[in-house]
Amino acid sequence: MYEFLTGPMLWVTFTVFIVGCIWRVVRYVRGLSWQLDRVAYRPHFALGARHALKSVFYWLVPFGSRSWREKPGMTILFFAFHIGIVFVPLFLEAHAVVAKQRLGIAWPSMPAGLADGLTIAMLVAGAGLVIRRLALPEVRIITTGYDYLLLAITMAPFVTGLACRMDLPGAEGWLLAHLVTGHLMLLAIPFTKLSHMVLYFCSRAQLGMDFGIKRGGERGRGIVW
Amino acid sequence: MFKKILFATSGSPASDDAARVAFDLAGRYQAALELLHVTGVPTRAYSQVVKDVRTGEEVSVDENYLSCIGDELKSYYERQLAGCAAACTVSIVTGYPHREILRQARSSGADLIIMGASTKGEEGKFYRRGMAGSTLQRVAKAARCPVLSVHRPHASYWGGIGSIVFATDFSKPAESAFAFASKVAQELDAELHLFHTLDIEKGGMGRDMDQDEIEARLIEARKRMYATYGARMPEGFKKWQVEVWEGTPYVEIVKFARERLADLIVLAHHASDPDLEAARIGSTMEQVILRANCPVVSVNHPDKI
Amino acid sequence: MPEGKYCFRRPLQTEEDILHLLSDTRGTNYYKEMEELEVDTEALKKRLDATCKSRLRTWLDICARCGLCADSCFLYRVNDRNPEQVPSYKVQTTLGEIVRKNGNVDTKFMLHAMEVCWSRCTCCSRCAQYCPHGIDMGQMISYTRGLLYSQGFVPWELKIGSGMHRVYRAQMDVTEEDWVETCEWMAEENEEEYPGLTIPVDVENADIMYTCNAREPKHYPEDVAEAAILFHIAGENWTVPSSGWEQTALCMFAGDWEACKMQVQNVYDAIERLKPKRVVGTECGHAHRASVIEGPYWCGRPDGKPPAPYIHYVEWVAEALRTGKLKIDPAKRIKEPVTLQDSCNYVRNYGLSEITREIISYIVEPGYFVEMAPNKDYNYCCGGGGGFNGVGRYRAQRNKALKTKRDQILATGCKLVIAPCHNCWDAIRDLEEEFEIGIRWTFLKPLLLKMVVIPEHLRPAEEEE
Repeated sequence: MYEFLTGPMLWVTFTVFIVGCIWRVVRYVRGLSWQLDRVAYRPHFALGARHALKSVFYWLVPFGSRSWREKPGMTILFFAFHIGIVFVPLFLEAHAVVAKQRLGIAWPSMPAGLADGLTIAMLVAGAGLVIRRLALPEVRIITTGYDYLLLAITMAPFVTGLACRMDLPGAEGWLLAHLVTGHLMLLAIPFTKLSHMVLYFCSRAQLGMDFGIKRGGERGRGIVW
Repeated sequence: MFKKILFATSGSPASDDAARVAFDLAGRYQAALELLHVTGVPTRAYSQVVKDVRTGEEVSVDENYLSCIGDELKSYYERQLAGCAAACTVSIVTGYPHREILRQARSSGADLIIMGASTKGEEGKFYRRGMAGSTLQRVAKAARCPVLSVHRPHASYWGGIGSIVFATDFSKPAESAFAFASKVAQELDAELHLFHTLDIEKGGMGRDMDQDEIEARLIEARKRMYATYGARMPEGFKKWQVEVWEGTPYVEIVKFARERLADLIVLAHHASDPDLEAARIGSTMEQVILRANCPVVSVNHPDKI
Repeated sequence: MPEGKYCFRRPLQTEEDILHLLSDTRGTNYYKEMEELEVDTEALKKRLDATCKSRLRTWLDICARCGLCADSCFLYRVNDRNPEQVPSYKVQTTLGEIVRKNGNVDTKFMLHAMEVCWSRCTCCSRCAQYCPHGIDMGQMISYTRGLLYSQGFVPWELKIGSGMHRVYRAQMDVTEEDWVETCEWMAEENEEEYPGLTIPVDVENADIMYTCNAREPKHYPEDVAEAAILFHIAGENWTVPSSGWEQTALCMFAGDWEACKMQVQNVYDAIERLKPKRVVGTECGHAHRASVIEGPYWCGRPDGKPPAPYIHYVEWVAEALRTGKLKIDPAKRIKEPVTLQDSCNYVRNYGLSEITREIISYIVEPGYFVEMAPNKDYNYCCGGGGGFNGVGRYRAQRNKALKTKRDQILATGCKLVIAPCHNCWDAIRDLEEEFEIGIRWTFLKPLLLKMVVIPEHLRPAEEEE
């Protein structure tokens, strides 16, 4: 099972994940319409691109946008969660080892202590996000079961991974669970709201272009949309 | 003298005194009389809803509403309308009153506007929505024809006019007012009192003038009156005299009119900025109208005299 | 009942249509019939397929339901933080529902959606600035309004307003003749004070073509006169078109995109006919949005620009003051605390916040200008945007919404509010009437007229005294 999940299945998952993500992006861009969206993307592409990048960038920087600054608590939860979710799987030493052994790819890794810290922070933040959803009426009303399911899907590989790392009893089982949930998460990305992993860039860029091209970008203000 | 008279009325007792003058004048000169009632001030941005000027309630304007108001107005003036010699029409419109009165006067080519109720109190509140300055002031400033208003009950008897006071500040509009006043005086064979007030507050530019200076300036103003208006009197018209007093213009005008038993006061609209609340209160014209015992006519433009 | 006598899907196309609907006082029968107006689900589905593309669908899909938009919405805040006023919720329960059901919705749902779209959102797009995913919920509600309009679920006044644009190419029954006549009248009324003042109609190749809001000729033509006087003083070579002078679009509030196109095309035709160097619009936010920001797209202009540079009145004023075409008498500058209302349509959605501040720097004595908080691109809607001001059915909700602006103004301590936007001006007037906080409000034009220096050669012949 371990062999399969770290071997052939890995290729399958990666392929589905990458192709799926590309497909989401392509479908998004192809679905854009200057006339329906009322944004002249092409004739003002440079202007639009500049504001698109600005928009994408500042929202990726903690406290980079006004929205982040106005809600510092949420911002901390959000970035702790997302930094963990992106960097730990990518640069975990154990993952690099697997990449080297199973796929023959040399992959950089981060110190184990940092990975542990980020993972714990991510899980704490995840719990925080759940509590926030339950506690705040304005979030509770828009939250559905789907949102909790996605949180579960994303947090599961980290819970199981951390269990492996801490050598909890039943290591074999934990490892297997980690692999299964990990695959599940990657496979879920293109097909669920988790596609925001790529669509975030699309949507942000689009709005950056929208404001940049027609709603004020020309008048060159330091504002970030 | 008048062929088309526009009577802007509130259709309520507040306009009764003006109504008396309006119907009387129309009868006397066989003039066509148009009753105009601005019933509602637009509200709710672009929509058809207006604020009824009498009830203060929001109402929707439709044919039905307008014809109801029209009927009401007709029955309010039933007796007068029945006795009307020439053509009488009734128009009910919505909009900002001063603007609609001016619009109507312009399109019908009225040669006299008679203004009804003063826009004070509750009524005035809606009239002035977003537009400081009274309806009367705004109409008086822009109208091409003389604007007559009546504020006090015993000021409402036109006819048998034997004494007219023309109050001047030597401004350009005052020339038009003079032209009107002299024409009316000649036609009615009335006495014409040319009157000027030396404004001791403004004249002193913030300091008290001493008596010698005041008297010197009174003499100077008198000379100016003769020079300015004497030469322009209608041919053969002799019944005129000049007087200059010192004081606050509106007070002196009212006192002077009372002393000379004036039946009509003619003056030019004075305040240049009808936007300012201060100008509204301080306006000589408005104060005179409020206080005078006779109708007051404001003339600012030479077009329709 | 599929369609009623007053309430039906098709737009108002003729004067008779308009009068007929107007005869239904306050839309009493209109709304009654709407309760039974059937939804043409096929047509709705078709419309979705044709117009609901990746941007909107992605926005609906990836909304993380994080609630960061909640506090950005003044309607949420002013309605005691009612969770049903969270922008995301408003979108998801309307457009989201329609898309999920692929148009298979019923009358009851549409009535609810109408209520949400016109009484719980002014399409100010403030929330768009707070969403990490860059979801513009103002645009989505606006799109939803289009869907609702196509099915006949639209507030009575907006159905009529839209019809007015279709029939008169103006938001009110102001005809071309009325307009030209008004121009003559206003020139006449002011030429004594400003010798040589004219309102030139249909002059080709002028430097400036001026367009306005139909309410000006209809109810307060002083505004047209003031614009004329200021152009006159500034020595501009300007003109107004006899047709295509009306730049507003209530149809934009209604979601009647077809009428939007008809309306703005009329203005563009005038531009192409008269070939002015540029066009200046009046002090109106949504008019600017309709004719400058969105208009080019409705008309299918690929570069997203009107046929000639089209600037907002504040841009012209700032330029005239900067270049000295208009000179302010320093003694007449405003010397009382004064604040400024930023219109969503040309500030947040067009970026003119600094321009208006520049104007302030010329006309207000230093130290007297007080900013609202928040301000500029983050300012709150006046409370009456997006058609809210004009809809009787939602008057109570609108009046409540005004509290936001009331409190903002009260916090500045100012008694004078400069509002260079018809809609904001209206809302602020209404809030004074509603809450009586003792403020005055004004457009820029009358303010400027009070303090501008009139060049020697434009003054009337010397008067005595």
